[in-house]
Amino acid sequence: MLKLIKLEWKKNNIGKYIVKTVVMVLILGLFCFALAYFGIANDPDLGVPDAAPGNEMISSSIEIFTDMSFLILTSVMLSSFIVSAYKNKTMNLMFSYPIKRQKILVSQMLAVWLFNFAALIVAKVLIYGFIMAGSFFMESSFPIDFDMTTLNFYIQLTFKSAITVTMGFIALFVGMAMNSSKAAIVSSFLLVLLTQGNIGDVTLAGNIVFLVVLAGVSLLFAFLSVSRAETKDLP
Amino acid sequence: MPYILQTHHLTKVIGGKTIVKDVALHIQKGEIYGFLGPNGAGKTTVMKMVTNLWKPTEGTVEIFGETLTPQSYEVLKRMGSIIEFPTFYDHMSGYENLKLHAEYMGYYEHGSIENAIGLLGLSEAAGKLVRNYSLGMKERLGIARAILCKPEFLILDEPTNGLDPAGMKQVRELLRMLCTEYGITVMVSSHILSEIESIADTVGVINHGVMMKEISMKEIEQMNLAYTELSVLNQERAAYVLSEKLGITNFKIVEDGQIRIYDSRVSTQELSGVMAKNGVQVTALGVKAETLEDYFLKMTGEVK
Repeated sequence: MLKLIKLEWKKNNIGKYIVKTVVMVLILGLFCFALAYFGIANDPDLGVPDAAPGNEMISSSIEIFTDMSFLILTSVMLSSFIVSAYKNKTMNLMFSYPIKRQKILVSQMLAVWLFNFAALIVAKVLIYGFIMAGSFFMESSFPIDFDMTTLNFYIQLTFKSAITVTMGFIALFVGMAMNSSKAAIVSSFLLVLLTQGNIGDVTLAGNIVFLVVLAGVSLLFAFLSVSRAETKDLP
Repeated sequence: MPYILQTHHLTKVIGGKTIVKDVALHIQKGEIYGFLGPNGAGKTTVMKMVTNLWKPTEGTVEIFGETLTPQSYEVLKRMGSIIEFPTFYDHMSGYENLKLHAEYMGYYEHGSIENAIGLLGLSEAAGKLVRNYSLGMKERLGIARAILCKPEFLILDEPTNGLDPAGMKQVRELLRMLCTEYGITVMVSSHILSEIESIADTVGVINHGVMMKEISMKEIEQMNLAYTELSVLNQERAAYVLSEKLGITNFKIVEDGQIRIYDSRVSTQELSGVMAKNGVQVTALGVKAETLEDYFLKMTGEVK
């Protein structure tokens, strides 16, 4: 399986995605840093952050922006690894190999999942670290509400990253059902709205039960995406 | 001789439309099988079912003596194929694409990639990105990929698409060579007879999803395709004379006053003599041969 995953990375030009991810994380890091220390979200009259309820802390901004970006990146990669492969018929070639179709699909999904999961953890740790380093020299507009010295911080971070990346499978399922990369990517935006958005004071962001349910649904969708591959004809 | 591929009542229905119906194919080990039919006849559909890409609605495919099921993966190792147009990873070079293929097939014989590249005359292009390949080069690379892992059974769907006449000839010679030197069985489809007739041992003709005929080239050569064409002024009278006086029933009136006689027992001298005696005015008389092309067109019903 590991070999299949490596081959997926190779033929989908993973180097290109690494560069893109690094650029994205840099921008995210700078943005969060600016939120905290340059007061870009401050109300001009009052000089305090103009944040939505529940987002008064710096960690909620970091979480929202990283999760959002990586959920979209995961969906983009899933659709280019899988949905596009169906569309440009390289899947025909893949299915002419003496490898179980389900195994091929799982390797493609895992190739994207592992990449994004690892990248998201690294990105979060870097950005949190960046903000914390800043706090030694400057006063943050948003209260610093995390402690990078506790194990609990890392456990939570890993857990949340896993859930975020897994949600990409919902977008993949939509993309595969409609045979359209665009549909997959649009679905990921809808998922972002659902998980991070708020209507007035009502928001599902940070609701851990909801996130776990959503991750369960995502896994179900992932299962549905591969289950029929053996007998289904290619388009 | 054992069959390497047999299909039984192979049928595919897509969205209520029957694409192929009741197809029975028989391919012997070590032969080149030409699969002939006009565009849209169902050639690719049959080939997709043979390579297990599509599953039959009804009927079975028996390959290497085993009946294909959705779980038949091992047989794929023994086959090489191009179905429709070959697809590649554009951002990789031709060589890398072949290497990737070998990895997936689990085939690691040293020098096999160089060998395949050499056979198809791609040595110069192998290092270039596939994105920059011409149509013909991609087709060649596809063939190189199909033969890379030394398959026992090679399935090529219109492999000479996009090739120039010299390239077509080269591919034909290559297939002949693979068949005679390596003992590879080849199934090659085409809608152009002339492409196949010089290399095929057996020809299968499909039209509108129905297998019209399977016939070996030897049989075709032995078949009498010659006929006598007779032009007369009074065709009813002539037809009467043919059947009643000469006892010939195997003839056909092709157009007004033109009769084709598919019976080699009667000579032209005898024919003109009998016609004259019975008062039929003959305007032209000659022995002609039907070309193989005519024969197939007749079979596929494109010409009435």
